[in-house]
This record gives sequence, C-alpha cells and structure tokens, in this order.
Amino acid sequence: MNLLRTYILPRIFQWFLVVFIGITVTFLIPRLSPINPVDEILARMTAFQTMDPEAFKTMRETTLALYGLDKTLLEQYVLYWQRLMVGDLGPSFGNFPRPVTEIIATALPWTIGLLLTTTIISWTAGVLLGSLAGYFHNRRWAQVFERVVVVIYPVPYLIIAFVLILIFVAELKWFPLMGGSRGDAALTWEYISTLIYFGFMPALSVVIGATAFRFIMAKSLTTTEIASDYVQYAELAAVPKRKIILFYVARNTMLPQVTDLALSLGLIFEGALITEVLFTYPGIGFVLYNAIYNGDYNVIMGITLLSIIGVATAALLIDLLYPLFDPRVRLR
Amino acid sequence: MVRKVVLLLLLALLTVPTLVGLAQEPQGLPVEVPGGRENLWVFDRIYRLPTEANWNIWKSGIHTAFFHALMHETFWNRDQETGAFIHALAAGDPVYNDDFTEMSVDLRQGVLWSDGEEFNADDVVYTINALRNSYPGGTQSGWSVQLDEFGAEVEKTGDYSVKFTLSRSNPRFHTLFESRWNGIYMMPSHVVAEVEANLAEGESLSDWFWDAEDMVVLGNYLPIDWDENGYWQLFQRREDPENSLAGVITGGSGPPYALGIWYGNENIKKAIAMSRGELDVYFDVDIESFETTLDTTPTARSWFTAFPWAYPNEVSSRAMSFNLEGDPLVANKDVRWALALAINIVELQTEYIGGIAKVTPINIPPTPKLQELYHEPLEQWLIDLQIDLGDGEMYNPYDPTVPDQIAAWAEDYGHTVPGAPRDVFGSGWWKFDTDAAEKLLMKAGLSRDGGGNWLTPDGEIWSLDIQSDPSENDAYRMGQAAADMWAEFGIDVNFITLDRSTWTQNHRVGAFEVSTPWQSFALASGDMWPNVRGYHSKYYAPSGEDYNPLGGDSLRRQQETVLDELIDAMESVNPVAQEEENLALAHEFVKHWTENMMDITTIAFKKFVTWDEKYWTGFPTAENPNYQPLYWFMGGKFAIQNLTPTS
Repeated sequence: MNLLRTYILPRIFQWFLVVFIGITVTFLIPRLSPINPVDEILARMTAFQTMDPEAFKTMRETTLALYGLDKTLLEQYVLYWQRLMVGDLGPSFGNFPRPVTEIIATALPWTIGLLLTTTIISWTAGVLLGSLAGYFHNRRWAQVFERVVVVIYPVPYLIIAFVLILIFVAELKWFPLMGGSRGDAALTWEYISTLIYFGFMPALSVVIGATAFRFIMAKSLTTTEIASDYVQYAELAAVPKRKIILFYVARNTMLPQVTDLALSLGLIFEGALITEVLFTYPGIGFVLYNAIYNGDYNVIMGITLLSIIGVATAALLIDLLYPLFDPRVRLR
Repeated sequence: MVRKVVLLLLLALLTVPTLVGLAQEPQGLPVEVPGGRENLWVFDRIYRLPTEANWNIWKSGIHTAFFHALMHETFWNRDQETGAFIHALAAGDPVYNDDFTEMSVDLRQGVLWSDGEEFNADDVVYTINALRNSYPGGTQSGWSVQLDEFGAEVEKTGDYSVKFTLSRSNPRFHTLFESRWNGIYMMPSHVVAEVEANLAEGESLSDWFWDAEDMVVLGNYLPIDWDENGYWQLFQRREDPENSLAGVITGGSGPPYALGIWYGNENIKKAIAMSRGELDVYFDVDIESFETTLDTTPTARSWFTAFPWAYPNEVSSRAMSFNLEGDPLVANKDVRWALALAINIVELQTEYIGGIAKVTPINIPPTPKLQELYHEPLEQWLIDLQIDLGDGEMYNPYDPTVPDQIAAWAEDYGHTVPGAPRDVFGSGWWKFDTDAAEKLLMKAGLSRDGGGNWLTPDGEIWSLDIQSDPSENDAYRMGQAAADMWAEFGIDVNFITLDRSTWTQNHRVGAFEVSTPWQSFALASGDMWPNVRGYHSKYYAPSGEDYNPLGGDSLRRQQETVLDELIDAMESVNPVAQEEENLALAHEFVKHWTENMMDITTIAFKKFVTWDEKYWTGFPTAENPNYQPLYWFMGGKFAIQNLTPTS
C-alpha cells in the first residue's frame, strides 16, 4: 500500500501532468507560428491560375469558418479537448476533411515496422557485440571491430544513407529507389518479401549508426564493469567466462541500456524523417514535417500527442520496472 | 565461441543484403500491370499528396496535381507554347452580347463519357447549378464564389448549346472555363444527379466521396490503384480512347496505363529513377541532375537535343521584388535603378543559370506568342527609354545586344545556338554599368566610405536583405547572383534562405526588403488584367499587415494611381474582340512599371522536361512542337495522347 501511495501513484500523476502540459504546449506552438493553414491551402488551390480578389476574400473567410479557425483561441482549445476525450483528433486542414486518425493510421504502421525492427536489431547487436568486445578487449577481433565502429559512428547519417543509395540503388540497382512494398497488403510470403525488399536499405541505413552507438556504449560500460573486484574474483575462482559476462557483467551494465531501449521505443512515434525522405519511404515523419510546413495544426497535435504519450509511458515503465532489472534499486 | 558469433554476425551483415536483393526482380516500381513495362508510361508527379481516394474534384480542398488533366475537361484550353485557344468541349469561341452580360457557347458533339453517354448541354446546366447550390463547403478554386459573384445563370438553348446570363457585365467570364492549369470541369449529370438525389438529409455534394470504381470521365484515363501514403497513382486508359476529348482532338490513344510517381524533392533521385528505366518523363531538375541524366540514360532528351536543352516557354518569369515599405532607400526609384544597373545579366544568365533561360526586362516571359505581343512592340520604347542620373544627365539603360552576348558565350563553350539569339535567349536587358549605378545612388544621397562600402544618408553602412526559397532553383540562383554582384558593388547584402511557407508568409505581411518571387503580368493569351487586378490600391495592406484577408496582391506595398486607372480601364475591355485596345492598355502598364523599376525582372521560366525514349516516343520537341510538353498542365494531355511505343 505504501509502495502504491509513495512510489507508483506519484509517477502516474506525473505521467498525466506531462501529457497535459505537452498537449497544451503543442496546441499553442503552431498557432503562434506565422504559418496560417488556410493561406497555405488557398495558395495551393489558386496556384497556376488567377482569381478575382473579391472571390478570394470570400473563399478565405468561408475556409476559416469551415476549419473552425474563426473561433477564439480558448474556444478552439476547449473544442480540441472535447474531441480528444472521445478519441477524435479532428480533420486535417491540408487534406480536409480527412480525419487525422486516418492519416496517422495510414502512415504509422510503416514507421513502427521500420523503427521497431531497427531498434531491436541495433540494440541487440550493439549490446551483444559491445559487451563481448569490452570483456575481450585484448582480442584482435575486438580491436578491429572497435576501430571500424569508431570510424563509422561519427559519419553523419546522411552520408551513410547516400553511400548505400549510390552503391545498392543507383549503381548495382539491387534495391528500389522508393516506396514501402509492392502489391496488395496480405499475409503472404509474396507480399512480405516485397516488404523486406523495399524496407531493407532504409533499415540498414538506420541499423548501422544505431548499432555503432550502442556498441560504444556497451563496450564502455563493460570495460568499467570488468575492472570491478567481483569480476576479478570470479575469474580467479575460475567461474566460466560465459557465466561471468552474461550473468554478472551484462546484468550490471543493463540499467542504462534498458533505459536507452525504452526511450528509443517511445520515440518511434516521432518517425524517421530523414530516412523517409532519402529513401522515399512511407511513414509518420514526413506526415509530421508536411504538417508543420503547412500549419496543419490537428495533424501536428495528433502525432505529437502520440509521441508525448509514447515517451512519457516509456519513462513511467522504466521507473516502475527498474527494481526488477536491478535489485539495488529499492524504495527507501 | 565468441569469435564464431562475431564472424556469423559479420557474415550476415554482408550476405543478407545480397541475398535479399538478388531474390527480387531487380526493379523498384511499386506496381505491375498486364503487358509489363511496355504498357506502362511512368511520369513524375509534382507533389506527394496523401489524399488519394476521394475523386470529387469539385470539392474545396481536393488536390488536383495532375490527375485533372488525365480525367477532366472544360470548354477551352490555352496552349502555352503557341498561345493558341484550343476548343475543347466548346465547338467554337464564346459569343458575348454587346454589354457582356450574356455568353453563348456551342458544345462539341461526339465526345463520350467513359460509360458511353454523350456529353451535352444537360451536363453544363447541371454542373453550374450544382457548383452554385450544392457545395456549401465551397468548391475547387473558388468556382462557386466566382459564379455567384456574377450571378451566373445558365440555360440550355439546344442539345449542344448553352447560354449564360450574368447579373453584371464581364467580358472575361469565359476565362472560368479556359484552362491553363484548370477550369470549371464538367460533371456527368446522369451520374452526379443520382448521387445528389440519394444523399442523406443534411448532406450536400461537399460530403460526397467519389470512389474510383464509380468514376465516369470525359478524359482518357481512370484511376485504378493508388498509394495511401501519396507516392503514386495508377491510371488505366478507358476502353474507348477515341471517344475521349483528347482522343477526338488528336486521334491518338495514349499508353494503356499511366503511373504518376513521386520520387521526392531531390533532383538527383529523378535522374537515378530514369537511369533505372523507372521514369519516362520528369518535369524539372537542376542542370547538374539533368547532366547526370544525359550521362546515365542514353535514350533521354529534353526539348532541344543539345544546348540549351530545356523547354523555355512556361508562362512565368523571375524577379527581384522590392517591399517599398521595407528598406526606406529602395522606396526611391533611383536606388532601384541603381541596383538593376549593378547586375551583370549576361553573367547571371550564364554563370549562375547555365545559359538555359530566356532573358526579359519586363514581367512577361518571351514565349513566342508573348514576345510578339509585348517584347517586339516595346523594343523601340525600351531602346529610347531614358533615366535621369542626376544633374540633368539623361541615360539610356537598355542594351538590346544581351542575347548576342549570351550566344557568343555559348559558342565560346562549343555550343551551337539553335536559332536566332533573340528567339533562344530572349530580349535585351539593362546595361551592366556600375558608374551609372553609382551616380544614381549619389543622387539618392548615399555615399561611399574609404573601403568602397555604400553608406546611407545617415552615414551608416547600407545593409540590404534578400530572401529566397531554394525550392525554385533558378529564382534562388538569381538571388544569389544579385547578392554577389551587389556585394561586389559595395553593398552589405544578407542573403537569407527560407522554406517556402515562411517565405510566402513574409511576403504576405511585408517582412522582407528584397525577395525573389515569380510571376507573369500576362496570361499565355496575352491578356493582362486577370494577373494584375490584385495590384489595385484598394487591396493595399501596409507592411506589417497581412494582405491575404483583403484578397489582392500587395506584395510590394505599392499604391500607384496610374496603375489603378489602367487596371480599371482593362477590366471593361474584351480581350478577344478588343485585343488592340486591351494590349495598348497593357503596354502602358508595363511601361509605367518598368520606368519605375518596381521589380528587377531577369529571366523567364525554363523547365527541364526530360523524357526517356526507351519505352515511349512521340513527346513534343523543338523540332516537332505539336503540343506543349508541360504535361502537368491541362494542355499537356494532348502530348500524352500522342505517345506511341518505341518498339
């Protein structure tokens, strides 16, 4: 009971507070920007043609009313919460009247598919290889590996992606230049193989840098850990190396790495804009970018809401699960 | 053990991409069609548009990027290459009564909807009434508002003729049905009337969601598949292409399938796509990407087979525009003239633009038609034009030899100029004369310090901001050229790069000093009033206030009584029946604008419309300019209809 009152409930309250403040700030920021969604829409609708100024004026007023942007800020804020309470994120202004939930539902699976896979692969590979390289730091392969990673890690993502595109897409033509799949979505190998085919290059580009980062982190943590007395004692006691690394060292270095994993998973909802742009891959990042660009308030808020909830929930779960990973974490 | 794990991981890293890549057919198009690539024409979309499923194009907010030209029709098209007024669904020109309150239109017979029904006057009557009464949420391009503004009523005067009655005079009413980009598209009344009759209570056609499978069109293509994320749309040719409007006009049938695909904003990706055989035509790239295309796709070409390659006749031009209420110095026309004379147009056009765009000193691009209507008749006036450098010294700023200088540059580089320099490189421009520019700035009260920097009359370093949006290559490079040349001349120039939204928003509220917009005062037809009516002082908004709520275009914050009078005079003139009078007023407008150097206009639009003839041939070229190659405009459909398989 004490645990619930003093540890769990405050953290849940904190979660609600973070989400509330996040939503309110997200509501205000786009409206403070100079970009007006109606002007963006009208600019697009009247591009390449001329229009009578009086007709334009009427059209602008009609559109403002249609989008509910003729209301006061407070009225818009109250309306937004009313909608949110029933799970309605409102219509997109840029693709009016398509519901924001539909736009997110179309794009989000691609982002989750890409980033969940790459996060898990890079985390597993990075932690495993980094821990091994840290423990066996005198071995030649570990030193070679480390040097390769140290070279790759500082290379900007853009460069890695462009190199992959130039080699595998432009020159060898092994992989496609754009898109996420071919054919109608179905649980068949034919469709799934196209998913892998189209998603491979974007995924590889993300995995390379992310693995390098986690390799370096895991190696540093392991190097520190193996200098501990208990590791030296275990080695002197002839405890098998596999047991030392998996059950002693890895477990003790796990806390920051689990935090990294949880936060990375929470950040998935922000999307991978640069990857999407470079590989012309579908996803939520470009939708968000486009929404910011065009002042599409409801889409910005819908995606940011997911991101806020994702990160806040990940932080809450980490907080609640720490004691399970590390017995040294105790409520006093 | 550990070594084995590491080796296995490395092996996987190397072999998986190889295996995954080799396991697939090495092509990256997201769709497959019967008959394969030989039956599919792949074109570059201008935008990535996420809303792809609702084909109710008359509804406000629906995107039109390109699919309108494949599917929809209106009365007339305007060809940008020739300026020709093409009769589309109308059988002839509009016929007005004396006071322009009535417009009669004879309709073309023998054009069928894709379900076999013939297009007729009922469709026109239904369309106009539906736009005015059944779209309370507004319509595409403000058509309903513009019809309401003139109280447009339409009646059927025969199976193939209609008459519009207007509540007040409008000699340009037909332009609502004259398409360069779009115009009022006809609805299939036999389909939409039934939809309207079955709407739920409280619903209107604004709520109508037109599914692809229910589509009935006058155009040659129907949508059959699309990407919900907005990357591509696939169209299939209708079963009777000869009965579509484009089929009736051209006699061609077009490719069986058309795929519009968006490879992103990076020019080089379009070049890569074409080299992979996954793009048959793209609409524009920068010169570097175009050169990559020439290197990597031997079957690719643009308008010209050699220098200057690009299509030069899109109806628009680029200018350095001034906010007359921004930097107080540029409110002085002598300062603006000085800035113009400090630009070396030959260097700008060659070193910055690559020699591939036409030069123009007025806000009208020198297309063949507009050159005939504006540049040629105004040439002598430009030659005779004089400005006062101070102390009564009069100066002729115009240099008619600019196209010859550019031609000489091209020949020095080993290029052959494909025609007379004026036809290829446009008209003359202002002299590059920093001495004259210096006199003008001195006249305006500026001075130089010991380092050659220009000082304001208050003795401060004169600093000037140029804002530009990099998404329009040539406008951006023009801005960079001006920044470099003005800096060389001693001005402290800040070149500011902004994204499109912020840049245009700054235009609206006047938060800039100099900017790099694009415009044309004249339509492809030569008519000016539609494009300049927004410059009237009644739409003026002071700097700091948004001009959009007023409806007009107060970009420059100009208030010119002379221009207002000319705009008012042009409004009541019929551009066809009174073409001479209309043009005379338009020339006066250009003269006043130019004398006062309201903008420094430099070059016209060029487009690297580039196509690969590996699969399809018959695209219009400089040698065979049958139709405009700007396939994303309405008139571009005729070029598509004429494509034939290369093999």
